[in-house]
Amino acid sequence: MTLRNPKLLLAIPAIALIFVFMILPITNMVEMSFRTPGESAPFGDDFTMMHYDRILSDGYYWAVLGRSLLTAGVVAVLCLMVSYPIAWHMSKATGMKAVFLYACIASPLMTGVLVRNFGWMIAAALNGPLNEVLLGLGIIERPLRLLFTQGLVILALVHVFVPFMVLPINNALRNISPTLVEASSSMGASRREVFRDIILPLSFPGIYPGMILVYVLAVAAYVTPALLGGQMVSYMPTLIIGELTGTFQWPFGSALAIVLSLSSILVVVLFTALTSRLMERSKA
Amino acid sequence: MSEMSNTFPHQKPVNIGFGILIVLLYVFLMAPLVMIIGASFTNGLMIEFPPQGISLRWYFEFFDRQDLVDGLLMSLRIGAVTAVVTMTVAMMAAMAGQVISGRLSGWYQLGMTLPLLVPELLTAVGLLFFLYKIQMAKTVMGLQMGHILMSFPYAYVSIAAAMRQVPDALEEASQSLGATGWQTFRLVILPLVMPGLAMGGIFAFINSFDLYTISLLLKPLGGNTLPLALFDFLTYEFKPTAAAAATLSILLSILGVALVQKLVGLQRAF
Repeated sequence: MTLRNPKLLLAIPAIALIFVFMILPITNMVEMSFRTPGESAPFGDDFTMMHYDRILSDGYYWAVLGRSLLTAGVVAVLCLMVSYPIAWHMSKATGMKAVFLYACIASPLMTGVLVRNFGWMIAAALNGPLNEVLLGLGIIERPLRLLFTQGLVILALVHVFVPFMVLPINNALRNISPTLVEASSSMGASRREVFRDIILPLSFPGIYPGMILVYVLAVAAYVTPALLGGQMVSYMPTLIIGELTGTFQWPFGSALAIVLSLSSILVVVLFTALTSRLMERSKA
Repeated sequence: MSEMSNTFPHQKPVNIGFGILIVLLYVFLMAPLVMIIGASFTNGLMIEFPPQGISLRWYFEFFDRQDLVDGLLMSLRIGAVTAVVTMTVAMMAAMAGQVISGRLSGWYQLGMTLPLLVPELLTAVGLLFFLYKIQMAKTVMGLQMGHILMSFPYAYVSIAAAMRQVPDALEEASQSLGATGWQTFRLVILPLVMPGLAMGGIFAFINSFDLYTISLLLKPLGGNTLPLALFDFLTYEFKPTAAAAATLSILLSILGVALVQKLVGLQRAF
């Protein structure tokens, strides 16, 4: 191919940035996962499958992996349940109201994950607001220890990822032509039928990328379990960082990271296969 | 009551329930930010919400803590460099993207947003080894490159969206009137995409300011960014100073939201 337009050359710095500082390093990490453990260095000179053997033959790693995948699944589903009503409400708003609602989504989004998790630490204190609310509603009789529980990790992760789901669903809902909805209700469809047969399938192009993005990011989320999960429960990301920074087992840490990535890709493929009919309906 | 709303699925009963749900969901979204801001003004010795009395003592305490202030300064410096570099590189990449058409264009967009789509953990681990290999491990430069990479997609998406709004005809007109490529860029394109460019810079800056995982793995010897310093502080001390530090960080993001609204409007930005 000859260079038809010299403007294409302007892409070189960006491509170099992503290739050199992302594609190469990740490829390098794959290689690292086959290295032998080092004596005095973080890794040895020879190649081996031993790290994968060790992960796959040890029930402990299966349990941690399962917990990470399951937690991310729960987070993605809860995110959808929280995000859909918000996106629905947002998609109807115009003018200053819309600006206000977008600001309510954008402010947490643009605040760091660590800071937002810290907010949940305050809320989850023994005499903090979360316990007060639960006591007030009569759900519990004595204050619960909420900090360092899996429940709080899930709650905080849902909070982190809600904006990632609201925005694509909101865009999909805004693209649904109101005449389509009017037409089907004037032809006698009930609100429920309109929602089930028209709106839900047509919002799927927003739900699908939202679910996948949230799932993939939640599987690999490190800060939230590290800060709110405590010492008792391990997740893959905390384990991986522990191997890399605590014990300097670079090849083993890499193998863990690759097992985690491959299994989350597998889940995404399964999800895509299971929802392919919904996706086709949205295009019909 | 519920039977009635089933037989007459008209506006009111559904809408009131939905209204309450929406209010609760927004309370959920805002709760952690409100907790932190509230807790930062406490006059007591503990991090708690609602705060005990009102004071600014923990803000003074924050500015007296050398480790936290150093973290803040480092984060601001790295964020500023990240914004300038990503704006430049993303501007160039967006101009190149303009001349790519058809199927290839989708792949190009995907490639440019890759650092956003691949989990930060993977990129961070890969970069840790890579920087070690090229002898840039534990340097500020290495951390800076990590931040530029992770923030680049935010700058690119904003700038590319602004570039798409510029009609091709303008550029052709400018060129047929004898302007050089550089003149066309400086006098025609740049003023038109300026709001998008500035927004890209803001997003890149704020993203860099908030990054945690990549900073943890790539942090230079003896240097901490604000999130790293804050994490350590929360682990070992847990005093309202942390709430003051976090409030400053929230203020920065609210400032960012306000600027984006002013520049291009939040609705178009997201």
